[in-house]
Amino acid sequence: MNQTPAGPDDDARATIARQSQEIERLRQRITQAQAAERLRDALDMAGLAGTIAAPLSHEQLLDRVVSTAAQVIAARAGALFLIDEEANELVFEVAIGPKADEVKKFRVPLGHGIAGLVAMSGQPMAVSDAEENPQQARDIAQSVGYVPQTIVCVPLTADDRIIGVLELLDKQGAPSFSPADIDILGLFANLAALAIEQSQAQQNLVQLVTNALASAGSGAMAAGPTAPEAGLADDAAYRQALDLAQLVQEIGAQGETELECCRAILQSFARYLRFRANPLGGPRPSW
Amino acid sequence: MTGPRPAWSIAVEAVPEVSSISPIDDISRDWAWGGSSGHGVRVAVIDSGIERSHPAIGNVEGYVSIAEGPDGMIYEDGPHDDVFGHGTACAGIIRSLAPECELYSVRVLGPMLSGRGAVFAAGLRWAIENGMHVCNLSLGTTKRDLFALFHELADDAYFRRVVLVTAANNMPIPSFPSLYASVISVASHEGKDPEVFFCNPNPPVEFYAPGVDLRVAWAGGAWLTTTGNSFAAPHIAGLAARILGKHPTLTVTQTKVVLRALAANVRPDAATP
Repeated sequence: MNQTPAGPDDDARATIARQSQEIERLRQRITQAQAAERLRDALDMAGLAGTIAAPLSHEQLLDRVVSTAAQVIAARAGALFLIDEEANELVFEVAIGPKADEVKKFRVPLGHGIAGLVAMSGQPMAVSDAEENPQQARDIAQSVGYVPQTIVCVPLTADDRIIGVLELLDKQGAPSFSPADIDILGLFANLAALAIEQSQAQQNLVQLVTNALASAGSGAMAAGPTAPEAGLADDAAYRQALDLAQLVQEIGAQGETELECCRAILQSFARYLRFRANPLGGPRPSW
Repeated sequence: MTGPRPAWSIAVEAVPEVSSISPIDDISRDWAWGGSSGHGVRVAVIDSGIERSHPAIGNVEGYVSIAEGPDGMIYEDGPHDDVFGHGTACAGIIRSLAPECELYSVRVLGPMLSGRGAVFAAGLRWAIENGMHVCNLSLGTTKRDLFALFHELADDAYFRRVVLVTAANNMPIPSFPSLYASVISVASHEGKDPEVFFCNPNPPVEFYAPGVDLRVAWAGGAWLTTTGNSFAAPHIAGLAARILGKHPTLTVTQTKVVLRALAANVRPDAATP
């Protein structure tokens, strides 16, 4: 085949190829951003639904965060650990992936593995030859039932403390996790931390409502000594939340349609507030 | 007039000599660190320890391992290993850029979580008070109640001409000391040339150095291919050690100005040796 010197056509073709690549990259980022937005909405909805009647369990929420992260970032498996500060251990909470069902909940001591390191240093990191260093991935291997080739791991922070780590394993369609993947996983870690906080607050709230209703029947009020969360019941924010939950419950008692209408109104108001707070979207990552 | 004078006033004849740097446009890599191997510069790696026997390390000049005890901090100065491998990775990168610098391992990351922020602060204080010239901090804390303590330590380091190089944290939660103006905060770029770095006109991240898919030293004599800002910071720490090896009296500000002048996006020609 004859070699022809590079001419204007080749330049144009190269430019077009570059531009198409750029467009593809942008398109992927938009898809990722949209998926994150959908998940945020899902979490909002889940949180609200939980406050009303049918709480999504702690595990279901976390499972949803990890599996959506894995889907958006294109990973084969994922795991989420929480820290037990007293015992200096990582407590395995969620695993998704090909062998996740075979794995039972377990604890690993901090130290030596990537998950422990990220929990200690607070610095996200990715490893692309984990199978060559199985001791670095032992905790992870145990959680998903096989030794991954690539790992990305970020800390989970709630109320300025590191409470756990979120990991994805085996990047699909690329040799390793990229800095952009680390950024996006950081957003999911934030969501997971929120979900954990929310579900903990929710458990308190559900208990508070249950107690309030139970004690209302016997003529006592929630703030009375019969409420197990007497301190919380005195808290103004909790009282407001309780009022709100009772209102929503009252509406919910009228039927599915009324409940759906109430949810839609609250959701659009929340969306409007989010938009008002940040009309141009979230802060850009510094990578 | 004799005797000590308040800090806002000094007799002209008593003003100490300071280093001048050449006009910024004339700063070249050769001027900045040409011929320097970081000889005589003490570099603290405040991390999980340094594995001295790893072929990437060579020598470790000194050690201190810090942990929280029942009656305050416990400092142990005997040789120690690396709990994870992270400190060895950072030290290996610094060693590759500044082969004759003196490495000090300040171990603050261990298998115990409790008090880790306070232990980290104690390690930084130790480094500042024990004559380190450059500190590599590929870690951070998110605890707001430690903000003031770390701020004070970072200022103290700045006034004592101790260069603090920190890994920026890309998480949506603020982490310090990487957010302070007195430190040099570093994130990653995808390039592989260890001496090519960029400056960022939008702080708090001020520089980008290689930190993507790097082959780094790890505990147990191993090597690991990793990505993270943790591994970008030691590139700048290593170059700072070389600059200070050649220009030992530079202040932190001057060191930052020299680095900025040599960033590949400021002086593309400076990037080619």
